[in-house]
Amino acid sequence: MSYKLDWAPIWNNRDLLVEGFLTTIALSASALMLALIIGVIVGTAGATHARGALRISSAAYVELMRNIPLLVHLYFWYVALAFLRLPPFMCAVFGLALYSGAYIAEVVRSGIGAVPQGQRLAALAIGLTPRQALLFVVYPQAFRIMTPSLASICSQLIKDSSLASVIAVAELTYQASAIEGQTFRTFEVYITISLLYLLLVSAVSYGLLLVPGARDVVGRIPSDA
Amino acid sequence: MSSDGYRAMPDSIIKNLPFLLAGLRLTAEISVLSIIGGSALGVAIGIVRYARAPVLAQLFDVYVEFVRGTPLLVVLFICYFGFPALFGYQTSAYSAAILGFILFIAAYLAEDIRSGLRSVPGSLVQAALALGLTRAQVICFVVVPIALRNVIPTLFNQYVRLFKFTSVASVIGVNELTGSAMLINAREFAPFSIIAFLALTYLVFCLAISSLGRLIYSRLAIRA
Repeated sequence: MSYKLDWAPIWNNRDLLVEGFLTTIALSASALMLALIIGVIVGTAGATHARGALRISSAAYVELMRNIPLLVHLYFWYVALAFLRLPPFMCAVFGLALYSGAYIAEVVRSGIGAVPQGQRLAALAIGLTPRQALLFVVYPQAFRIMTPSLASICSQLIKDSSLASVIAVAELTYQASAIEGQTFRTFEVYITISLLYLLLVSAVSYGLLLVPGARDVVGRIPSDA
Repeated sequence: MSSDGYRAMPDSIIKNLPFLLAGLRLTAEISVLSIIGGSALGVAIGIVRYARAPVLAQLFDVYVEFVRGTPLLVVLFICYFGFPALFGYQTSAYSAAILGFILFIAAYLAEDIRSGLRSVPGSLVQAALALGLTRAQVICFVVVPIALRNVIPTLFNQYVRLFKFTSVASVIGVNELTGSAMLINAREFAPFSIIAFLALTYLVFCLAISSLGRLIYSRLAIRA
């Protein structure tokens, strides 16, 4: 083995890595916010009881979005809609959010389905409007059940955000490639960012389990990471 | 969509269909090889971790945790740039991609298979031991067959994921479906029709893999 490990160039370029790490966090956080909004709307539409247009369009959205590779989503925003001149960061946010939103919608749908039907009926019986019953009775219970699955989708999203480097968003993977190109410390730089991703993903997964009530259901709900 | 510079729909696809189909064949080839390799490795790792074989199990624990916390793109970079530099060997983008996909998906499959193995009731294991089977025989002939049949839906979820993820191989220069489509786009500049073609092709194949999984599961599922 002629390759000598040398970590000094990585340390010397630490400001690039920190910058990329922060961009990764910003990108994941914005995409997650948008994906949660999409997921809650589409998932709630999918959980309606009538087999109406609402449920069909929800299912169509989920099947369409999650069966198309994320890279194709990103190319759609970055290449096909190039005439909109969106900044790469926005393209990545939209691509990631539409893609992950479909996964979140599935979780929301099954989370709402897991709340016993009697809960909603009882809420209606004591005089809550359907909207109030959903907001104050069904959602709070459903979100607790959903927390472990949401944690795994969230960590998936953070890892998926690395693909944004392909459309020139200067996040962690992009900076790593830049450092690799300058210093040729290939192995060291990629191991370093792997560990940074691992750190971020673990922090988020454990953080989400601190949500009140989340731990009660962890044992009961199989996570589908 | 008739903005300036965007050509009419099917022309650019039909003209380049042979090239796109070659890309699709490469995508299929990479997927099949990675699914076979990844499943074999995943089952092996899952069993070792389930049986808690000393040293090996701990080693695989670290491996699974590490890979599951790392983006696929970084795994591919490590396989294409990192390992060859570290161990001093030559590789092509194609074989590096397959190695990366196998290492990547095996970690996820191993985790699914281990939870499948764990869900086999303890009473079955005890019954098999009472019949005089050795521990290895119990795992081979009782636990694994039941667990594998139970985890078919999860496995096929991972296969669909892997199929979508093969598009990432284009980033390290493998001209599979996405790579060849983007090459064509660079020449033809018809991004709408080309990306729509890409999306539809992936959609059809992903739905086909999912329904194949459901079909196999409905045949092999153990009914109470």
